[in-house]
Amino acid sequence: MTTSVSPPDTVPKERTAGHRMPFWVNQRLGLLVLVIALSVLFGVVRPAFLDQRLVLFPLLRDVATLTVVALAQMAALSVGHMNLAVGRMAAFGAMFAGIGYDKLHLPMQAGLLLCLAAGAAIGAVTGWLIARTGVSSFVVTLATDFALLGLVSLMYSALTEDAAFTTRPAGVDALRSYSLADICAGPVCGSPAVPQLAQFTVLAMLGLGFLYGGTRVGRELLLTGANPAAAELSGIPTGRRVLLAHTLSGLLAALAGFMAAAGTGTFRASIGDDFMLPSFLGAVLGGTLLTGGVVSVLGTLLGTALVGVIRKGLDLLGVGLESLNIYLGCILLLALSADRIRTVVSYRKVVRST
Amino acid sequence: MSAVLLECHDLVKVFPGVRALDGVGLRLTAGSVHALLGENGAGKSTLIKVLTGVHSPDGGTLTWCGEPVRLRSPLEAARTGIGVVHQERNLIPGFSVAENITLQKPPARRGLVDHAAMTEPAVACLTELGVDLDPARPVRELSVAQQQLVEIAKALHTESRVLLLDEPTASLSPEETDRLFGVVRRLAGRGACVVFVSHKLEEVFALCDTVTVLRDGRSVLASAPLAGHSHDDIVSLMVGRAHTAAGMRPRTVDRSAKPVLELDGVATAGGHRDISLAVRPGEIVGLYGLVGAGRSELVKAVLGLDRVTAGEVRVHGSPARIRSPRQALHEFGIGYVTENRKEEGVFLEQPIVRNITVTVWRRLARALGFVPAGEERAVAQDLVDRLGIRITGLGQHAGELSGGNQQKVSLAKWLAADTRLLVIDEPTVGVDVRTKRAFHELIWDLAHDGLPILLISSDLAEMVTLADRIVVMTGHRVRGEVDNDRDYDRMSGRIIRLIHDRDEVRS
Repeated sequence: MTTSVSPPDTVPKERTAGHRMPFWVNQRLGLLVLVIALSVLFGVVRPAFLDQRLVLFPLLRDVATLTVVALAQMAALSVGHMNLAVGRMAAFGAMFAGIGYDKLHLPMQAGLLLCLAAGAAIGAVTGWLIARTGVSSFVVTLATDFALLGLVSLMYSALTEDAAFTTRPAGVDALRSYSLADICAGPVCGSPAVPQLAQFTVLAMLGLGFLYGGTRVGRELLLTGANPAAAELSGIPTGRRVLLAHTLSGLLAALAGFMAAAGTGTFRASIGDDFMLPSFLGAVLGGTLLTGGVVSVLGTLLGTALVGVIRKGLDLLGVGLESLNIYLGCILLLALSADRIRTVVSYRKVVRST
Repeated sequence: MSAVLLECHDLVKVFPGVRALDGVGLRLTAGSVHALLGENGAGKSTLIKVLTGVHSPDGGTLTWCGEPVRLRSPLEAARTGIGVVHQERNLIPGFSVAENITLQKPPARRGLVDHAAMTEPAVACLTELGVDLDPARPVRELSVAQQQLVEIAKALHTESRVLLLDEPTASLSPEETDRLFGVVRRLAGRGACVVFVSHKLEEVFALCDTVTVLRDGRSVLASAPLAGHSHDDIVSLMVGRAHTAAGMRPRTVDRSAKPVLELDGVATAGGHRDISLAVRPGEIVGLYGLVGAGRSELVKAVLGLDRVTAGEVRVHGSPARIRSPRQALHEFGIGYVTENRKEEGVFLEQPIVRNITVTVWRRLARALGFVPAGEERAVAQDLVDRLGIRITGLGQHAGELSGGNQQKVSLAKWLAADTRLLVIDEPTVGVDVRTKRAFHELIWDLAHDGLPILLISSDLAEMVTLADRIVVMTGHRVRGEVDNDRDYDRMSGRIIRLIHDRDEVRS
């Protein structure tokens, strides 16, 4: 994922008044600097951190998966909603892929499509309920989460012997372990640090970048999030946009579920259990507003990468799991405050020069 | 000579890119009603926020009864004795009248709020205002005017000696306004100082004795007696040049033309009965009534946001069943400039370019729904130029604009979409004299170029200036229709008689 991934055109994400604030207030730039600085720091303290195959490869595989999870959350946040069921939707989607491979003996691509369709369908049902009833997304997705928790466990115990689908068609193992080093153009091979699984992340980012940055529907999603009443009166079909946002959210969650399953090698009910917090962290650190109307595709990647780097680095420094979480919490708080401090300092500067 | 309560010298307050206050002097004396005037963006709201501790000043001095003070928070200002009633209501809807009044100084016993002891001080404050309200009633059941009085009572409870009223009459009926004036005079009589902020100069001259005029963050007239100034003096002080009433291009309406929009015996689920009206090309039809007459609700029902239960809506002569504002825009070319620009009109946290082009993305979109950013900006820039919207760039957020410019942005999106009928709801509420004038010319010119306009307004002067015919509505019914002869006194007489007739029928 260190390859340059830039969504087309300008992805809308200025949270501060861009025309007045200096460039270094830019949140994504700050994140990028932080990610690089921390990587260098960990690399200097523990040279093992920069081991491409043993450390960076699994790190980037996790980041690739969690970025898609965070993008799923971002899609819901864009209309000012949230999706508390991202993890369970991922499990739901992955379960269909598992059924497809185990019972129907589908090839890899067909199973992936089945997984995405299932995710999109459950997302659409959720979105429809929200748009139709007007009940808050918090409540509806929380209910969906519980319903899916029961359903997915039930299906696994009914269909499998040890609560996991282990049949893997050709190609899944390649996704798990192949990196760019396995793609060679003549004598030049890619970096062994970059997993091939990241292709899905790149595709998702390009797609969302185009949607939110370039298209009518993307703009309408954001305006629906910014002010639903004004959006409706401006002729935007807000109900359909809410439906679309949740469908997208479900689709991306299912993709993340597939990536997680491919990454670990088994399709099991526990996939996505730890998706919900990272989904909010990645999106919000990257500059997506919880209140809707502002998203950042690139920021979501950087936010997720920051969390991943911190976690891996502290792990290598020998910090135990419990204390690791304490450090992680503190560093995230600092990162979020740093952003606020930057904004305030630059605001004062502009004021003084006025 | 009465005592000086609050005085400030050379107040300065800076925001990024703008010196909102740049040397403001103000002296408030006990027992006076002080008018604070200025156009939108002149710094009135900022001054109020500085005086009530919301913003801390970047320069200048503030003294209370001769002693320098620093107000660090609204609570501190309230404890000092400065109360404020903002333009928007700031009560807690679920709490009772008494709870709201005593909110800042709740009677407490051993650290717990003493609910029983609340009623007495609340009733005392209400009686002082001459208001009869049940202190146990939840605030959400009260009318806007009653809520405003509760807020004034709340300020009395904290023993405010300076009371700031920001546009208190914006949503009041004439009777309610008179009542409010009585309360204000009584407060001044007791030795308080009431600061009255309003765009309606008639009210200012009827009520106030001293005046401060702000222009571009400076006080161009500081605490002078109002008696020495004429209406025109004040206006030219506010706008900074002699105020000339330029004539508008003459405009004639072809009364034989086929109506663009016609309502025939329309009834709605919201309670409208038997509403009939017609708007012809190039005609401005006024829909006049007091707040609560059901005018905006009628328009929203026609646009599909509420059910039309009987009668017929015809667009260009053929019956139309409009199910949503989207269909109204794309199929029938009807645009609705909403009354409530902050909640329904503009997207405050979004760039201006998106605010304007939201209605035309469908037209601009290429394959895969791609909207070329260049064309989008061209459309927006064209309208910004046409309407003279003052912005620093198309990427600026709409929320950073002044009220008048926000309203122009809200209008611009419909002009961008080339609508064939425009409904304009209360276009100049909270808009200053100059912008109001510019807006009137804009609406006039649109009609001159053949656009039919349905104008909703509670401002009778505005109606008489703009409308060709005025349809009068009260209680969700049409009470009559008058042809406008542009003579204010005659028109207001006829309209008030129409409204009055209905009261007689009812009683």
